[in-house]
Amino acid sequence: MRESTVMKIHYVTGLAALLTVAVHVMMRVITPFSMSLEYENVVANYQNILYSLLLESILILVSIHGFNGLRVMLLELRQDAKWEKFVMLFTLTAMLVVIGYGTRTIIIVSG
Amino acid sequence: MEAFKDKQDSNKWSNREGLKGWLNPTRYGWERLSYWLMRLTGLFLLLYFVGHVYETSNLVGGLDAWNAMLELTQTTYGHIFLILVIGTSTFHSINGIRLIFAETARGLGKPGRPDYPYEAGSLNNIQRSGIWVALILAAAAMLYGSSVLFGGE
Repeated sequence: MRESTVMKIHYVTGLAALLTVAVHVMMRVITPFSMSLEYENVVANYQNILYSLLLESILILVSIHGFNGLRVMLLELRQDAKWEKFVMLFTLTAMLVVIGYGTRTIIIVSG
Repeated sequence: MEAFKDKQDSNKWSNREGLKGWLNPTRYGWERLSYWLMRLTGLFLLLYFVGHVYETSNLVGGLDAWNAMLELTQTTYGHIFLILVIGTSTFHSINGIRLIFAETARGLGKPGRPDYPYEAGSLNNIQRSGIWVALILAAAAMLYGSSVLFGGE
């Protein structure tokens, strides 16, 4: 994939993450903070299909944006073919692990 | 060809300060401060995000596991950490929007002949005000976060 396309994805995921995280934070703020973290309240949120879809979107968007940002930073420090390949594989694997682990939580708790 | 490649390899690190250059606090203008903060806040937020995904996975363990995790995070230090998350995420978001404008050449000004003292037209007050707005909004968000977290509600 061309680097300019990757950076476009970086900006789009950044903006989309900003919007979805804002909704996620609003859900915490509209109820008193201590109450919003009660187990029953959090599980009830996960069992709302729209909210669990929102959480999955945040998980994917922030993972793509965050790990691509890390890739860019690591490539700024050093440039050669071996390093670039390693950074690419490392960030891609870490991204998939985080998405997989978070999705597991969302599926189990919302089920 | 082989000799050229060897020379290229030996020069790989020359004239590059790497991480040392990144962390060197001298020669800092507003743009460099913004560059540094963008990366620092990005790294911090990525670490927080991974931690948050792990933290919320305690829901799978049931009520006791969730409450045990909350006991760890619902402390004064936990709240201070969250306030830092609020500040860094606000700065990263607003500065990120500024960078998208810069990337699409909005607010950069028109290119002109480079005359002494060679001030770059792109580093103008419109771009700089974006950095100040990001810093001011981050501070305001941290104050609001403090009032919610330490407000005793």
